[in-house]
Amino acid sequence: MKLLESLYNKVFINIVVHHESSNVYAEVCSKKGVINSYEELFDTKHLNEKMLSFINSLCKESPFYYISILDNSSYQGAVPTCSKNKLAFYNDMSDCEYKCYQSNWTYYTSKNDLYEIERSYEKIGIDLIYSPFTVLAKFFEDKIDTYMAMYVLIQDEHISLGVFKESQLLYAEHIYFDNDLENEELIETDTTIDLDLEDEGIDLEDVSVIDDIDSLDDFGDIEDLDAIDDIDEFSSGEDVEEELNQGLMEEKVSETAPDDFNEEYQIFTKIQKSINTFYKSSKYESAFVESMYIADSVGLSSDLKKYFEEEMFLTVYIRQIRLGAEIADLAKAEVGL
Amino acid sequence: MKYSYIKPRNKSAITPEIKLMLTFFSITLFMLFSTYAFLLYKDYSFTNELVHITNKKNRLETNIADMKVQILFIKKENVLAQKIQTKNAVLKDSITNLFDLVPERITLSEAKLDEKSLLLKGITPNKDVYNFMLQAPLRSIFHRTYSSFYPAGNGWLSFVSTNYTDDEKTVSQKEIEVEN
Repeated sequence: MKLLESLYNKVFINIVVHHESSNVYAEVCSKKGVINSYEELFDTKHLNEKMLSFINSLCKESPFYYISILDNSSYQGAVPTCSKNKLAFYNDMSDCEYKCYQSNWTYYTSKNDLYEIERSYEKIGIDLIYSPFTVLAKFFEDKIDTYMAMYVLIQDEHISLGVFKESQLLYAEHIYFDNDLENEELIETDTTIDLDLEDEGIDLEDVSVIDDIDSLDDFGDIEDLDAIDDIDEFSSGEDVEEELNQGLMEEKVSETAPDDFNEEYQIFTKIQKSINTFYKSSKYESAFVESMYIADSVGLSSDLKKYFEEEMFLTVYIRQIRLGAEIADLAKAEVGL
Repeated sequence: MKYSYIKPRNKSAITPEIKLMLTFFSITLFMLFSTYAFLLYKDYSFTNELVHITNKKNRLETNIADMKVQILFIKKENVLAQKIQTKNAVLKDSITNLFDLVPERITLSEAKLDEKSLLLKGITPNKDVYNFMLQAPLRSIFHRTYSSFYPAGNGWLSFVSTNYTDDEKTVSQKEIEVEN
């Protein structure tokens, strides 16, 4: 049977579900490498006839086809241990499917959501379901080993972030946000502020200084700022290689439309909130985040980087990520190609 | 490196199309081998039958030869039987004729019929009755006839008649001698 298998090419079909569309990326691989690749965007979040027909046509290329999907469950995450006894300390895993990543940390997702994914795609059948955290860890594999930083994967509706220190996860969070809903909320809030300005103007007396001080507290318990000098990476730890890549990327990003402002500000606030949680929570090992690596699958503008750099003094590196291709690489490694 | 939450389904190189093709080829091969096996069996069966038939043929040929000999023998027996039957018929006719020849007034006491001779013993009232009524027909049948008489007790005469038929060659020679 193995002999027969070696005669056939392998087809890796990878589905990434976005806000209102699904991206299907496929690679036809032989032992020598990728022979052919296909990519198609469908205007649906679910399996429709057009998508089914496209996937079926790919499946016909070889009996050895593997359909992978990126888990978009809202109830998923990662915890900084592989010990089953300690998992419950971070999260209730009773209804979760979890796996240990290289004996360092554990990623998990809701069992119900996994069943839901399998049920939604039962017409084609799903072979592999990947967590965005594994994608993130594999994507920044070269950095995670050496740089203590926050690593973020940004998708249409999801942000998966993790703080890694020498391959060990310190903190992780998966954030789901509904673009439309959040935009509406933001617009409503802006309107209220405008009205206030029109009606009453700005009364500096009313501005509470205590609130601002509280917000500074969100940066964690930095008791002794002199201790910052002890952190080696703070002044000289800049990633030169990533800086060069960054320069190339920024040329492209500068063309991004101004409509992305709200969305990117939301992303910023979400991540900022998450960093605050990391600093505040006693569950997690404390560390100071000074750089951030962002895997961008949506085409962010330079604004997001600017927010982080100006407001949180973080060094931010943004890398473009093709989720389909990354999942295909994971699937290939899993199948043993 | 296994990072997926689920295990991939088992993949098989045998797709439904290949299954169909394999089934088709299996059936074809099965039929071919069945036919081949059937032909082999038939060949073996025919060879056995041929040997059996050859043996039977030889046996029959031997039987036929035996029967031919028997038929020849039977034919000979038949011929012999026919000869005997003919002879018996002739003898029967001769006896019948003989007894027809004997007149009522002559009484035979002994008759001995050989192949070429006839011996008659009996009594006759007188010689004339014998000469005219018995000797005359006997003479016409046999080539040579000899008679002798001696008196019986009651005034009749006992007679002994010896008659011979000669071979055709002897008769012909005698006739030639007489003519000369």
